[in-house]
Amino acid sequence: MRVLRILFLVFAGLVSAAGAVAASSSADVAHLHVQLVMPETTLNAGQTADVGLYFKLEPGWHVYWKNAGDSGEPPRIRWTLPDGIKAGAFQYPAPKRLPLGPLMDFGYEDEVLFPLTLSVEKSAKPGPASLHAKVDWLVCREVCIPGKAELEVAATVSDHPVKVAASAADADIYKRLLSRLPEPLPSSATAVFATTATGFKLAIFTGRAERSAAFFPVEQNILDNPAPQKASPLENGVVLDLKKDANLTGNPQQLAGVVELSDGRAYDLVAKPGAIPAAVPKTGVEGLLKAAGLAFLGGMILNLMPCVFPVLFIKGLSLVQASGEEKHTLFRHGLVYTAGIVASFWLLVGALLGLRAAGSTLGWGFQFQSPVFVALMAGLLFFLGLSLAGQFEIGLTLTSAGGTLAQKQGYAGSFFTGVLAVVVATPCTAPFMGAAVGFALAQSALVTFAIFTALALGLAAPYLLLTFQPAWTRLLPRPGAWMEVLKQATAVPLFGFVIWLVWVLAQTRGSVAAAALLAAFLLLAIAGWILGRWPAKRIPTLAAGLVIVAAIATCVYGVTTLAGPVAASADSGKGNADASRWEPWSQALVDKYRAEGRPVFVDFTASWCLSCQVNERVALRTAQVDAAFKKANVALLKADWTERDDAIAQALTSLGRSGVPAYALYASNSGTPELLPEALTPGIVTDALDKLAALEATDSAAKTATDAAKAASEAAKAAGAVH
Amino acid sequence: MVWKFQLSRVSFLFLSLVVASALVPSLAQEVRIGAAAPEFKATDSNGKAESLDQYRGKYVVLEWHNQGCPYTKKHYTSGNMQALQKEWTAKGVVWLTVISSAKGEQGYVTADQENSYLSRVHAAPTAVLLDSDSKVARLYSAKTTPQMVVIDPAGKVIYDGAIDDRPTDDPEDVKGAKNYVNEALGAAMAGKPVPTPYTRPYGCSVKYAE
Repeated sequence: MRVLRILFLVFAGLVSAAGAVAASSSADVAHLHVQLVMPETTLNAGQTADVGLYFKLEPGWHVYWKNAGDSGEPPRIRWTLPDGIKAGAFQYPAPKRLPLGPLMDFGYEDEVLFPLTLSVEKSAKPGPASLHAKVDWLVCREVCIPGKAELEVAATVSDHPVKVAASAADADIYKRLLSRLPEPLPSSATAVFATTATGFKLAIFTGRAERSAAFFPVEQNILDNPAPQKASPLENGVVLDLKKDANLTGNPQQLAGVVELSDGRAYDLVAKPGAIPAAVPKTGVEGLLKAAGLAFLGGMILNLMPCVFPVLFIKGLSLVQASGEEKHTLFRHGLVYTAGIVASFWLLVGALLGLRAAGSTLGWGFQFQSPVFVALMAGLLFFLGLSLAGQFEIGLTLTSAGGTLAQKQGYAGSFFTGVLAVVVATPCTAPFMGAAVGFALAQSALVTFAIFTALALGLAAPYLLLTFQPAWTRLLPRPGAWMEVLKQATAVPLFGFVIWLVWVLAQTRGSVAAAALLAAFLLLAIAGWILGRWPAKRIPTLAAGLVIVAAIATCVYGVTTLAGPVAASADSGKGNADASRWEPWSQALVDKYRAEGRPVFVDFTASWCLSCQVNERVALRTAQVDAAFKKANVALLKADWTERDDAIAQALTSLGRSGVPAYALYASNSGTPELLPEALTPGIVTDALDKLAALEATDSAAKTATDAAKAASEAAKAAGAVH
Repeated sequence: MVWKFQLSRVSFLFLSLVVASALVPSLAQEVRIGAAAPEFKATDSNGKAESLDQYRGKYVVLEWHNQGCPYTKKHYTSGNMQALQKEWTAKGVVWLTVISSAKGEQGYVTADQENSYLSRVHAAPTAVLLDSDSKVARLYSAKTTPQMVVIDPAGKVIYDGAIDDRPTDDPEDVKGAKNYVNEALGAAMAGKPVPTPYTRPYGCSVKYAE
């Protein structure tokens, strides 16, 4: 009896031991828990079923994506399945960037589910089915530990459709983690890429502006993994700057991978070569704030000018001496004063914008590029420079007129004091105003208003502060000779700017026109002398006015009628380039030359564009640059925008430029052209051509190497085939 | 007086900027196949100074090593790495094992520990570079252990990447794997171009010093 019992116990022990040896669906190994998970345990014949490999990792430990990055290996699974059941490929959820010092890996932390699809044939035998898998992986933190496990999950094949849910925990894993798989790129979205000198630009068009994006390439050795990916938002997507692997030879036909956008969206994409639009310039609110900030600062600095500072100082003193009763109204007066300044500036801006609008409708071509406008601007700035240098004072008559208004009592008085401040400040504000005006003419109305408002507020700010706290007047330096020196010093950069304008005009309109402009300057100097000798007297002022009119006439006459053939340029000895080498631009022509293997240089220009003319004389048409173009076999195309051609306008927009001049150098094998700066020198052009040659040399060397390798392997194959 | 103070302030700022830029650790360099291999200076496990230019005129193999890494162990327990070292050093190739693990990280060893390891596993490199500040690793953008770099007698990199084409830690996978070092040295010594000059290295990540 006892023997039987012992035997039974032994037998039971063996059976249970055997049972324990059977593989389970999960394993807890070094630093992780790995498990085979099925949301439903029934495999319906003729249908597909889901199963997944689930990892729960200890903090800091990670497993890898299909492209693990600089180091690491993804998990692998080898199935042993009953007949009629086949396993599909692993699917990988969207990975994370895992930096490791100077290296970058791609993988997962905390928990991850790798789902895959089982296909069950109609012929599969109904009944219990054991799905057996050998899994191995690499899990790392500071060290790496390869791991493996044999897992098994019990399922049932059924020949009639039935759903048997797995345990709640398994179903929950699936529910929670299935969404981490990247989705295919929606049909409304596209992705294109272009090669650049250092790598690629990848543009993803999702239909809305994207602030951030990260790209994970499927293929290894394409990208430099640790390099940061700069994301530039577009109106309808984002452009990523990707650095290529240092040893990548040749250009890939496509870029495949996963892109992760904000809000947890991840898409599988395959980008094909295409044109990348220029990114939305980051000015917008940022740039506007910066410009406004500078204008505000400029306004504050204007207070140091001799035209404004003594007024500020004296007013400050009178504020200190104000009676106690008036003190609380002082600040309000200060605000009204500020309003006066702002209002005057707005009037000025309004007039400017009106002129600009009128100019474009009247067809003046009211752009800074028009030679007549530039000549008049040069004259005006010269005149203002004379005033700053001390030859005469502007605004004294205005000052006396404004003085009576400012003496009005109460708030009206304060308002007109503000206006007076602007008027009186004009001769001193010329340098700043000139720059502000120039900038304003090129910008939208909103930007212009913002800039001038900031300038006005800056001008008003110190006085406003003093009305708030009159005691601070003690902090002001005493007015003195230093103010006059400061004012005269500002004339120097102004004259420098005038010299540059004269040179530009001489380049494009000839030396006779330049001489006429200088004659106009002489007339202006005479007018200035008159104003300085007899200040604020009616008849001399009228006489000066007439002389100024004569100066303006000379300006215009010189720049238009007297404009002659351009004097021989600096390298006349070497002779100029042959203008007939330049062909009219068309996109088709660009493509044709590139297909022929020739690089293409496009000069976007217009006859009314002064800097374009200057660049052509000084750089593009010189013998040195022409020889460099010939040597590199560059096709030369000129896109003439004088008549505002639509096709050219579109080409400019696609290059990220809004106007001329623009210079694009296309390599024969790259879709993204190199854009040269707006001010050219022969050196800049030859440098760009050298860079192009180097790029094309490495590409052709790589191509010959791969061709040679191909030929060698084919020869070996042929030799092998013979045997 | 005030002006002089401002000037000295400015020059101090400038100097500090210059000094700061010199102290910024150099970023990992890019190693390009066909380009000159970066020059390096290091100390070996016998205290001798080593540099790349002293071996100009010979083939040089750099083997990144971490004795705790399972992938490195695969090639040492199977005897594969030792056999490669013996075979190629006998043909006049200079074999330099590089240990770039920072102090306190896996793979870091002192000179004595390394020398006893070498005799224990019967390894036969020409020298072992103790690169615990990871300088050589940064020069070569070393990613994993093992990672192999082969340099020709003219000092140009002709191979950079994995030791073979089986990225596992199983010593069984050494037999039957295509060994890229053999392929590169064999081709180069026969005057032929290296068929596979660049592969993704596999192994544990190099444990860089900060």
